[in-house]
Amino acid sequence: MLEINNITKKYRKRGSIFTALDGVTFRVDKGDFVVVVGPSGSGKSTLLHTIGGLIHPDSGQILYEGRDIYSPDRVASEKYRRTNVGFVFQQFHLMPYLTVNENIKMVCSEISHQQRIGHYLEKCALYPLRNKYPSELSVGEKQRTAFIRAIVSNPEILLADEPTGNLDPQNSSIIMSMIEDFHLSGGTILLVSHDPESAKYPRRFLTLDSGKLT
Amino acid sequence: MNLFVLVIKEIFYRKISSLIILLTVVTASAVSVAVFSLSKASENETRKIMREQGLNLYIFPKGTNLIDFYSVNNTPSFPESYVDSLATSRTFDAVRHLTGILQVRYPDWTDPNGSRHQIVVVGYKDEAMQRFLSRQETMGFDVPAGTVRVGALLAKNIPEGDPFVMKGADGEPYRFRISERLTEGKGILDQGVAFNLADLQKVLGMEGQINKIEALGCVCHDGRINNARNQVQAIFPGLEVTEMSSIADARENQRLMMNKYGAFIIPFVILSALLISALLFYSNVQTRKPEIGLMKALGKSNQFVTGLFLIKAFVLGLLGAITGFFAGSLVAVYFGREIFRFTAMDIGPVWNIFGFSILAFPVLWMISSWIPALLATQVDAAGILSQE
Repeated sequence: MLEINNITKKYRKRGSIFTALDGVTFRVDKGDFVVVVGPSGSGKSTLLHTIGGLIHPDSGQILYEGRDIYSPDRVASEKYRRTNVGFVFQQFHLMPYLTVNENIKMVCSEISHQQRIGHYLEKCALYPLRNKYPSELSVGEKQRTAFIRAIVSNPEILLADEPTGNLDPQNSSIIMSMIEDFHLSGGTILLVSHDPESAKYPRRFLTLDSGKLT
Repeated sequence: MNLFVLVIKEIFYRKISSLIILLTVVTASAVSVAVFSLSKASENETRKIMREQGLNLYIFPKGTNLIDFYSVNNTPSFPESYVDSLATSRTFDAVRHLTGILQVRYPDWTDPNGSRHQIVVVGYKDEAMQRFLSRQETMGFDVPAGTVRVGALLAKNIPEGDPFVMKGADGEPYRFRISERLTEGKGILDQGVAFNLADLQKVLGMEGQINKIEALGCVCHDGRINNARNQVQAIFPGLEVTEMSSIADARENQRLMMNKYGAFIIPFVILSALLISALLFYSNVQTRKPEIGLMKALGKSNQFVTGLFLIKAFVLGLLGAITGFFAGSLVAVYFGREIFRFTAMDIGPVWNIFGFSILAFPVLWMISSWIPALLATQVDAAGILSQE
């Protein structure tokens, strides 16, 4: 489904070159639950964003269903992000001027996606808050909203970058169980997490250190 | 979600910065409309003063005794085709507006009560515009054939609804519908009648003849009177040019000065406002980096991101243009009525520029947001979204 072939990414920092990813190669099959772990600065987030189509690698290829997601066709790359990938970030990144409902609706390109919003809101106990703005929500409510936004358009892959990093144990548990539900429904997950909660779920670990898989 | 709805929601969310951008458009639009409207009012005032208080130049046959011009009825005349010759001449560009006139004293007009009077009759040829100068509105007034405009003193002796009747050179009575009874204060026309030139020529048996040309739109300082004189005489050695009014000159000078300042003020204000607005849009992009990054992560295209800013600029530009038009018009009406006493009541919104404003300002503000919008498409989504 997803083939990561020998990708390298280097950054220039204060005159010196910092290697964020160094020849990383692995494969993700449909329905996999991959957890990427490693110390701070090991390149976990860079890897996730590269797979998500947001950071162009210096070399190597990322193939989704056999097609290079960094092909020169920008429209295809945008379509990949829009339809095949869902993102959850540590900082929820909700639009401050849109309500819970509108934040989720923003990514719906089909009527069927919009019809699912109510179901997810009920499931995540957000239905009564659907017309509230992000400033009126708790952090847990914000992350649940961001999670629904990531999965409402039914993506193949969920990329989650420290989704529980800002949450208390109770909310972390809720989010992790939602991620697990997505996995059980056939979704593919790449998760960057330090949360011990993630150890409860069946998964494949990848450890990154100084940009290399160990 | 609809891009337009997203833009409107963002405008209301960031009220202060949106309001400041809106104010830049309102200021630019209001100043432009006010200066343009006042310039237009000044032009109308000049036109009225030139017509009613004297003109820049009169062109007479050489040797005409100007002291006697209004008191005799046998001044030298010349062909009215001279007007068209001057208007189409490439070598005559000293004045823009030319009106051929036949003006004589008519010594024996009998009013409807049977009283006899000495009156002035003036025939106006339709105004000719110098062909090789840029077009402008007609400065004077044309008298339609078959009608007359009767001076205030004569009008007192003619009952409402009656035609104006005068005996022609052939002894026959000629009747004309009175299109306007002029109010007092029109100078020589208070005791006269304005005709269409062809009508008066027929009445007087002077077909094809005029005895002066009014030349408008010339500022006769710094030697231009000599220039006009030389140009006319090079074409028609039998004519001479006389400067008649300094009042009109003063007003014309004022109008040109206004146009000159307007030509500086309008672009200066618009460019300054555009620059401020561009900086505000740039600041808006900086503030919205996480939103933009998120949109890119969600697969929104660069066109979508650009559209967020361009549509915002269009909406604020349109709102500002409309508000600025009415604000500028109010300013122009308030000050215009103080300054331009002769045409005070004619001063109002210049609707011709409303359409132009609501088109130009949104487009200009979209241009001002263009570079910030392009910068928005370059936002490093990964860098922004992975910040803790």
